[in-house]
Amino acid sequence: MNKILLFLTCIPLGLSLSAQVLDNITIGLESNTVWYNDDSETGDFFDNANNDGDKHIRSNNYLKIDYNFLESFTASVQIESYEPFALLNYSKSYEGTNLGTYSLNYRDSKLNITAGHFYSQFGSGLILRNWEDRQLGINNSLQGGKVVYEPADFVSLTALYGKQRVGFKISDGEVFGFNSELDAGALLDFRETSLGIGLSYVGRKEDTPFVDPTFDELTNLFSGRVDFYQNKFYSNIEYVLKSEDAIKQGGQLSNRFVTGGSAILFNTGYSKSGFGIDATFRRLENMNFFSERNAAGNVFNESSINYIPGLTKQHDYLLTNIFVYQAQSTVNLDTSQSGEIGGQLDLFYKIKKETLLGGKYGTKIALNASYWAGLSGDYIQDNPDAGTLPSYEVELFGFGGKYFSDFSLEIRKKWSPKWRSILYFVNQSYNKKIVEGSGAMITSNIGVIESTHKLGNGKSIRFEAQKLNSDSAKHDWTGGTIEYNLNSKFSVYVNDIYNNGSDSDTEKTHFFNVGGSYTKGATRLGLNYGRQRAGLLCVGGVCRFVAEATGLTANITMSL
Amino acid sequence: MKKITILISMILSCGLLFSQNLPNINLKNLNGKSVNVQKLTKSKNVKVLAFWATWCVPCINELDAISEVYEDWQDETNVELIAISTDDSRTKKRIRPLVNGKDWTYEILLDDNQDLKRALNITVLPHLLIVKNGEIIYRKTSYTPGSEDEIYEIIQKYTN
Repeated sequence: MNKILLFLTCIPLGLSLSAQVLDNITIGLESNTVWYNDDSETGDFFDNANNDGDKHIRSNNYLKIDYNFLESFTASVQIESYEPFALLNYSKSYEGTNLGTYSLNYRDSKLNITAGHFYSQFGSGLILRNWEDRQLGINNSLQGGKVVYEPADFVSLTALYGKQRVGFKISDGEVFGFNSELDAGALLDFRETSLGIGLSYVGRKEDTPFVDPTFDELTNLFSGRVDFYQNKFYSNIEYVLKSEDAIKQGGQLSNRFVTGGSAILFNTGYSKSGFGIDATFRRLENMNFFSERNAAGNVFNESSINYIPGLTKQHDYLLTNIFVYQAQSTVNLDTSQSGEIGGQLDLFYKIKKETLLGGKYGTKIALNASYWAGLSGDYIQDNPDAGTLPSYEVELFGFGGKYFSDFSLEIRKKWSPKWRSILYFVNQSYNKKIVEGSGAMITSNIGVIESTHKLGNGKSIRFEAQKLNSDSAKHDWTGGTIEYNLNSKFSVYVNDIYNNGSDSDTEKTHFFNVGGSYTKGATRLGLNYGRQRAGLLCVGGVCRFVAEATGLTANITMSL
Repeated sequence: MKKITILISMILSCGLLFSQNLPNINLKNLNGKSVNVQKLTKSKNVKVLAFWATWCVPCINELDAISEVYEDWQDETNVELIAISTDDSRTKKRIRPLVNGKDWTYEILLDDNQDLKRALNITVLPHLLIVKNGEIIYRKTSYTPGSEDEIYEIIQKYTN
């Protein structure tokens, strides 16, 4: 640890001798440190993952350095430190201080070659997406090689091979990928129309644990896409096919349950100045895909090769994020699940200035609705005595039991040069049993009022008042936030949410936070003390459970 | 902890000494056309690259606030703001209707698997770069109401 720090300190020092070198370096530093406290209301600090109750101070640190040289080359390293253990709710595979990722990249107008760790995405990511999200503890980059070749400006070809990063180790399974993108609009010299075509393949090869496997080591996924855009109208469609693979049932990989999967994604929209509408339909069937078969169902989202986000609006307020939907693509015969079907609609509208509803500055309206259900069909349990194998048969466009629905309306209004407000209303139905594994359907109505008042000289104050009512006696929440910006650098805030319902995990407890931040250029320091509610933490439609915790948090982020 | 502090201050002090070049990365615009970020910013006029996402409220607030004064900014300094969306495929669909619905006139580029964001080592949004002749002359993170005025002062300082 000490040697690494010393080493890291020397790099920027040594480099400062040469401005030429420094012009071509970018550095990113992120440090998140928490001092966990025993809480008289919610219990003493204990870390179940590491079976530890002593090490109250934890720190996750990331230092990434990119160096561009000889015009076409970039070398990149990311050093990560989780000391003495990672923050609560991170996978145990992140432990100690080590080199997280490294890569060397060559790029010219036609070729882009990477050796080492790389992040790649084919189409919408339904068959492959490598990404990093430090808050969620996800880094599923591939370690290997990638070549992107663009012989002309209307065609792009990618070939890649790698093993996936899992903590500071790599997966047993190997990943192969090939992607082609054709800009047919440019090829055919369309003026007003854009037409893109994409074809991709991803293969995952992993030894099977069975002597007599009923499935192949290699699982294949294919994706075909068409993307169309003309004037104000656009539309795209993607179809994915996954070859047969063993299903994990009751925590065990089964040689008796082998089936394939598929996905359909359709999106269309129309927009012009002051107006936009967008609609999405998606159907997923058995679309889980991991670099190791046994990683299926892991709570840390480790080893996932593809990206299956929940297609619902990502809400911005504390009480609108209590019941968050997570996409369902797993097969589970006990709950008659094999995927999901549903859609989402978005509408944006600006009421013009100097009209009755628009007022002096105009009014901005955003509406979102989404509905997700299971796949309807027959689900047959494993019964060796009767000689029946586990299986399911689902309809292509059949809607089964409801998993989630959400309707939200946002109105943004500027009243005067100094006052602006946001009104937000949400109606949600959440199938707790499907998303979290136990519980019932909960329907809730949430209202939020937010106002910002500029006080001059960079000072401003912002208030939020929030209320959640539900049809369950367990959930009746009230919340609020006050934020005060002293200038563009210093900011302080306090927020609190409180459940007056009878939910045993959260009742009669204030989940509060007090904090402040200092920002200068691209450097931000944050300090926060508060109590974290147990529940789903979601970023970009991917969620993980976090445990209840109370503590003091310090964050530093810096980009150079 | 002490060592971390030393490390941070050393990196900070190094940062004051240099102005960086932008990486050689292509991004698509909303019409599916490829745009090279280096070529785009190699201009005598000041360019502002604003990294945002449809789900990031302060980002939207910042771009909304700038859009109200953007015409004046352009008239006086010829500055151009390029709004780089880091939305992934989950929320990417919302970009086009949102931009039009809000009547923004910025050029929009898509960084949907965060290649440029990662190359520039950006960790938090909103993040704003002021660029001239292909070199980054100022970087800023987070938004507070009114901080767009400070941005404009820097733009004016580097115009001509």
